[in-house]
Amino acid sequence: MIADFGNILLFLIHGALFVALSLFVAKLIRPHRPNAEKLMTYECGEVPIGSARVQFNNRFYIIGLMFLIFEVEILLLFPWVMVFQDIGWFAFWAMFVFVFLIFIGFAYELGKGHLQWDIPRPVVPKYVEGVGVVDDYPAKEPASSEPALDEPALQTGVNR
Amino acid sequence: MIGIDWYLALSAVLFIIGVIGVLIRRNAIVILMCVELMLNSVNISLIAFASHHGDITGQVLVFFVLAVAAAEAVIGLAIILAIFRNNLSIDITKVNLLRW
Amino acid sequence: MATYAFVLLAVLAVASALAMVLNKNTVNSALFLVLNLMSVAGLYLLLHAQFLAIIQILVYAGAIMVLFLFVIMLLNVDEEESLFDKFRAIYLVAFLLGVVVFGQIVYSLGGVTDLLPEISADMAYVGTVEAVGEVLYTTYLMPFEMTAILLTAAVVGALMIAQYKVKTSDQEE
Repeated sequence: MIADFGNILLFLIHGALFVALSLFVAKLIRPHRPNAEKLMTYECGEVPIGSARVQFNNRFYIIGLMFLIFEVEILLLFPWVMVFQDIGWFAFWAMFVFVFLIFIGFAYELGKGHLQWDIPRPVVPKYVEGVGVVDDYPAKEPASSEPALDEPALQTGVNR
Repeated sequence: MIGIDWYLALSAVLFIIGVIGVLIRRNAIVILMCVELMLNSVNISLIAFASHHGDITGQVLVFFVLAVAAAEAVIGLAIILAIFRNNLSIDITKVNLLRW
Repeated sequence: MATYAFVLLAVLAVASALAMVLNKNTVNSALFLVLNLMSVAGLYLLLHAQFLAIIQILVYAGAIMVLFLFVIMLLNVDEEESLFDKFRAIYLVAFLLGVVVFGQIVYSLGGVTDLLPEISADMAYVGTVEAVGEVLYTTYLMPFEMTAILLTAAVVGALMIAQYKVKTSDQEE
């Protein structure tokens, strides 16, 4: 049983060797003529500006947090599936209490509105008689229960 | 067959590396990662004992250590985010305010 | 074969742990920690804990380190810090004293070797999912439910700490 993992090890070693070997052979036979245009970072045809280490939005942390908590819950569910036949209804009620307790935290987060993701609405230019072209901003800000944002960059539309 | 003493020695070495990291680093995220490393070394010794005695209890304990590690990472990173928001640095030598 | 695998994985684990501690770039040290966790998962396999090896990769390398990398990207701190800029002679003295204490411990424990019984042969199935589950939901039911309370408390606490509405110090001024 344990020896089956040896096959996985062989597979991993084989995969690493395959990649390394093909990269090495490619390095041997390919032409090497770099210039400034080729070495530039490819950014969909645009001229790249700034650093690649941009600052992410704060709320990705909330998503990662929920992912981590529910992954731990699922890892505690795996053995439950295997032994459910042996233990029976006792295991069912044990897991019911467990999942209920976990979902209290989820309900708290949902109720506080941490999972709401206000999508920036597009700013559509509009022609007004006598004034010219004005940006038609979204009429209302989201409801006040919504948590205030740290980064105003997400709220802004395209033209602002 | 490797004896249990080698696993315990490896666990001790990893734990000491984690302690050294906590002591010499000043970046709060790296300190938190060193704490994770220390939890992991304890897991190694727990599983080594479980395998040595043929007793599953050590492996069950590792589950709870995993859950504690997850909770610790979540809370610790939230604290680091709060610290960063307040003084724009996660250098722990600069965190010297008791209140603000 | 198991000996070679142990030596390889142990060297990998120690080397990646040292690289993690000594690396100046935070992202690099996080990735070295992932390598360390992978090699520790290999050690779990050598100890007949198959399920925990998979769980180790899933949870530690898959979820916890992802959260760490999120926060590193979130904070975006690139300050170079030098590790040994505050070296003083008293550290050398402390190091020597620590070596003396360590030598004493090794000396006093060195005679005691056969405290542990020999490894039993009938534990090849010990680390399977069923074996873990049979005790996890019966004998250790109470710590199991406590885990749920701990995780719920962690979620609520982290949301309280990391929520957006906290006033920053420059807003007050």
